[in-house]
Amino acid sequence: MISRKHGLSVLALLVAVLALVAAGCGGNDSSSSGGTTTEASGGGGSTGNVEALPSSSCTAVEYKGEGDPDVLLASDFPLQGSSRTQTIQIVEAIRYLLEQSNYKAGDHNVAFQSCDDATAQAGKWDSGKCSTNAQAYAGNEKLVGVIGTFNSGCAAIEIPVLNQAPGGGVAMISPANTYVCLTEGGPGCDATEPDKYYPGGNRNYARVVAHDAYQGAAVAEFAKEQGVTSVYILNDKEAYGLGVATNFKNAAKAVGIKLAGFEAWDPKASSYEALFRKISNSGADAVFLGGLIDENGAQVIKDKVSVLGPNDGKVKLFAPDGFTTQQTIDEAPEATPGMFLSVAGVPIDEFKGKGAEFAKAFKPRLGGKAIDPYAIYGAQAAQVMLDAIAASDGSRADVIAKMFATKVTDGYLGSFGINENGDPSGAEGAVVGFTIYKATDKLETVKTISPKPEDVDAARG
Amino acid sequence: MNAFEQRLRSYGPGAFAALALIVLGFLYPKYAESLGNLSLLGDYVPSVNSMVIMIVFTMMAVGLNIVVGYAGLLDLGYVAFYAAGAYTSAWFASQQFDQWNFHFGAVGISDDLPGIHLSIWLVLPLAGLFTAMAGILIGLPTLRLRGDYLAIVTLGFGEIIPQVVRNGDNVFGFDLTHGTFGISPIDSPGFGSAGDSLGLPLSYQSSFERAQWFYWTALALLLITVFCSVRLRDSRLGRAWIAIREDETAAAAMGVPLMRTKTWSYAIGAFFGGVAGAFYASFKSGAFPADFYFNISVFLLCMVILGGMGSIWGVILGGMILGYLNVEGLATIGSKVQSSTGWDWFEPTKFQFGIYGLIIVGMMLLRPEGLIPERRHKRELELGVADTPLYDVTHEGSDTDRDPSND
Amino acid sequence: MARPPLTSTFDRLRRSGAVALIGYGLVSLVALWLVVNFFKEPTEFINVGLIGLTNGAIYGLVALGYTLVYGILQLINFAHGDVFALAGLTASSLIVSGLGLEKDASVLAIIGGMLLTLVVIMGFFAFVNAAIEFVAYRRLRRAPRLAALITAVGMSFIVQNVSLAIFDVNFRSVPSFIPRSEAIGIGDVTYSWNKLAALLITIPVLVLLTWFVQSTRQGKAMRAVAQDTEASAMMGINVNRTISVTFAIAGALAGAAGIVYLLQFNMRYDTGFELGLIAFTAAVLGGIGNLSGAVLGALVIGFIQAFNEGLTWYTPGSDWTRSIVFGILIAILVFRPEGLLGERTPEGA
Repeated sequence: MISRKHGLSVLALLVAVLALVAAGCGGNDSSSSGGTTTEASGGGGSTGNVEALPSSSCTAVEYKGEGDPDVLLASDFPLQGSSRTQTIQIVEAIRYLLEQSNYKAGDHNVAFQSCDDATAQAGKWDSGKCSTNAQAYAGNEKLVGVIGTFNSGCAAIEIPVLNQAPGGGVAMISPANTYVCLTEGGPGCDATEPDKYYPGGNRNYARVVAHDAYQGAAVAEFAKEQGVTSVYILNDKEAYGLGVATNFKNAAKAVGIKLAGFEAWDPKASSYEALFRKISNSGADAVFLGGLIDENGAQVIKDKVSVLGPNDGKVKLFAPDGFTTQQTIDEAPEATPGMFLSVAGVPIDEFKGKGAEFAKAFKPRLGGKAIDPYAIYGAQAAQVMLDAIAASDGSRADVIAKMFATKVTDGYLGSFGINENGDPSGAEGAVVGFTIYKATDKLETVKTISPKPEDVDAARG
Repeated sequence: MNAFEQRLRSYGPGAFAALALIVLGFLYPKYAESLGNLSLLGDYVPSVNSMVIMIVFTMMAVGLNIVVGYAGLLDLGYVAFYAAGAYTSAWFASQQFDQWNFHFGAVGISDDLPGIHLSIWLVLPLAGLFTAMAGILIGLPTLRLRGDYLAIVTLGFGEIIPQVVRNGDNVFGFDLTHGTFGISPIDSPGFGSAGDSLGLPLSYQSSFERAQWFYWTALALLLITVFCSVRLRDSRLGRAWIAIREDETAAAAMGVPLMRTKTWSYAIGAFFGGVAGAFYASFKSGAFPADFYFNISVFLLCMVILGGMGSIWGVILGGMILGYLNVEGLATIGSKVQSSTGWDWFEPTKFQFGIYGLIIVGMMLLRPEGLIPERRHKRELELGVADTPLYDVTHEGSDTDRDPSND
Repeated sequence: MARPPLTSTFDRLRRSGAVALIGYGLVSLVALWLVVNFFKEPTEFINVGLIGLTNGAIYGLVALGYTLVYGILQLINFAHGDVFALAGLTASSLIVSGLGLEKDASVLAIIGGMLLTLVVIMGFFAFVNAAIEFVAYRRLRRAPRLAALITAVGMSFIVQNVSLAIFDVNFRSVPSFIPRSEAIGIGDVTYSWNKLAALLITIPVLVLLTWFVQSTRQGKAMRAVAQDTEASAMMGINVNRTISVTFAIAGALAGAAGIVYLLQFNMRYDTGFELGLIAFTAAVLGGIGNLSGAVLGALVIGFIQAFNEGLTWYTPGSDWTRSIVFGILIAILVFRPEGLLGERTPEGA
């Protein structure tokens, strides 16, 4: 009993100490905002009547327009780790668009927060973070739209939560998710996909990027051109990696490439040489890596070269957009040359019209870094979302309805609509094209492919 | 009533303070918002949503305390029990097994949704029992090992289970765990149409007061855990655990069946871990293999050490402090410091596990009995125990501390 | 006295030899699997085996550090793996930024640079490891064994986060100085120079270490302290100093291992945790506290990993590698806690 009393007094003391510490920390903080920028600085702060999302994942509320904001827009990307080079450009593109429109969409004043779904420890997206973020979005009444995510695995977690959110669900649009089964079912998907992502019944998710059936088909067609006859496919078992590997497998069969093997790599292993020994024994003349550079991809590439020889030699190496970043080359500068990488869209210098204008105007904001195609996809996604908010009455359900009614004419990526699944439809221009790069000391454009419809259908499974 | 009063009085002011804390705790969602508007402290007040996570982890810490604190068995793989609980709720309350269609008391979903959908209220004890079974299965061959070897074995299990879950999408053609995708969405708790007339939510997940319902449920679960934990400590079994912790040989000589007692501590500790895991999965509406890594085990262990091994109130305090830091505190402090000083490098969330490491080492060196020490345990630390000290190799018998009752 | 039923079941099985039977059964199954795989593809089998040999040698260097410390303190020094990673990352900075070595530098510059790095890193991390012992473990000498173990876990997180703070989350590597060209080639069986280098560092280190522990005054003091701390103190051995020296040697080994690892693989701040667990498993497998046991165990783990990933006939594949390694750890602790070479452990099991 003595210890119990003692315990409670210690508890009271601790609470008091914590409170004091907290007060001390909070004390110096009143001087931080200034000028026309209205910035709320933490968890519980608010700007006008917009409640901020928690600071554990998100930046402070950004709003530089007139008056008070009345709706909130969030972006959700992995801002740490290897994807960072791409994702910060997407977020910057969203900011650019908001500044251009003076934080206005129609009659609505739009405040913005950029949220991070990666952890510093993992250096990549984290399922717990995705789930927590999604709950925070769902619970924030003024939040009407989310731009994200970057990784399909994270999208698969967030979509159902946002779909069930009060007020008819939260609209979500991604510039980068390419996993097929997020939007459409088919033989390559689980029987419950994609419906299980939409437990509320209505769709709330769209993307401005062609899914991996296109990418799988494009890479398979290209591989065939390169004279590949037999391919060994590796994947990281994640939604995106396994998905694109499967799509590529199906497309490869359709164009007449033999499948030498289909296997997972363990991102936590230190060496893959034994694995590549097995591949060399299988007689494959190409290897395809379905996955992300974050998943110890550089080591996989190094070991490929060390066992199977250089990429422009006997055994070629193909990788999808999870690898298509300068980071890949920087992490394995000796092993990447000759490797083929694909990414949705046309190369930066081949964007036309609005996309090219955007690239030109946006470039100064990057501080000398090369512009990444994802910046343009990010801008397009943001534009679709802002247009939907502008056309809506400001309610969540109406933003979703307007997002699905989108018709983009001569947008950043050309002209397209959003079909009932949430995929781009009737596309022209950059949306359905895929560019193949070859790695040297940077990514060099080889060609742009728009895959044949029958190959895309085959890739679906 | 009189007897009750007398009993209450016999607990002294501590009991009233505890009661007041519980009442304050239950009312938290009602005043959290006004607390959040306080001028200086407001930003540090955890949201109700964060409180749910803090309570779930505290509950796991209280469960771990039974194994580590009471019985003195170092478990470095407690995350395995959390995983087992989370996946039980994923199996029995989601569309994972779409080849079957079985509904029993599930709320907030249409009746023709494929898969097994039991009521979450049923799934929670089920998850506890399943996890306890897992605890016994892990414990049977391993609990006879000496302390540090046991810690390593549990660590091994803690590493194997996430990988088994990760690779479990094809167990001889059967999709058990759905691989890295994890299983989502998981059904929500709720009271169905029966609760509707009483003003209780049909389903938590689609309720506007989602956070507060989850919060109350979590708090109730924590109270049950704490109650059981207190009662167990004072029971025959609890005294046997403490006897084993203090001196295994003497305990065995006095007739304490070592293996059975240890196994019980494993099973009961696992039970609460399983319930907490199942509840958390339902709260998050998903179970993903990437959630179950070694750091979580150490994080929970850190809660127990900070609070005081064996001390329930200490573990709750430690759990809430570290839970708060983990969910919100470090991020809030980080952004405050960053915005007021402009130190971009100040990122406490990035180094959270380093901070937990510092807490562990600091506590072990400076105050091994924890913030709120358990009386007995403190005496053990002061007077020494019959456990083999680190450097004293002369008393080393064999590699396994054999159960003397069997020789 | 009532016999606990749970124990007795297991014990009865144990006494009746059923447990041993299961153990031998498992081992012979593995042997059969290896033999069949060998006859299906002999050259591949050897090639894959050579990969296992190299990796096993690297694990061995790390495992030696665990086993040394365990031998003298009965402490599983969790932080060892993280010291190894920190050493490797520091070496990568030193080589790439500090010395500015590039792939096409002259052979002399490369050898000189590598030797310099090796000396600097080994020296510095010998000091770091001894400092860790001084700060974190020395005060816990009289504390219960688990207290020190918990502290070691905490220490591991601290060192890991130091790596994270200095080197951030991305992978680091060095240019491949040592050519990946063929050093030994018999038919289709090849062994490249960079792999040979790992062996060329590990074997002398092991020989040197064994000589040190067996023949020098300091080594004898270490063995004496390991056997009986109090008696050796009475005989005039400075126990504190001996333990510090042990930690310093372990730290130097971690430094060497970090460099050898870096020459082959990418590293990042948490590499040490994974690798530390593997190396620790190796040490337990060989019989913890036993130097040659640690290397033997590491080679066995290296082979098992490589065979699991590289062979084709009924192999679980790389998905299961870690489960298999930790499965071995659990099995060895349950069936044969003294390890493969257990009889000769200093604690005299």
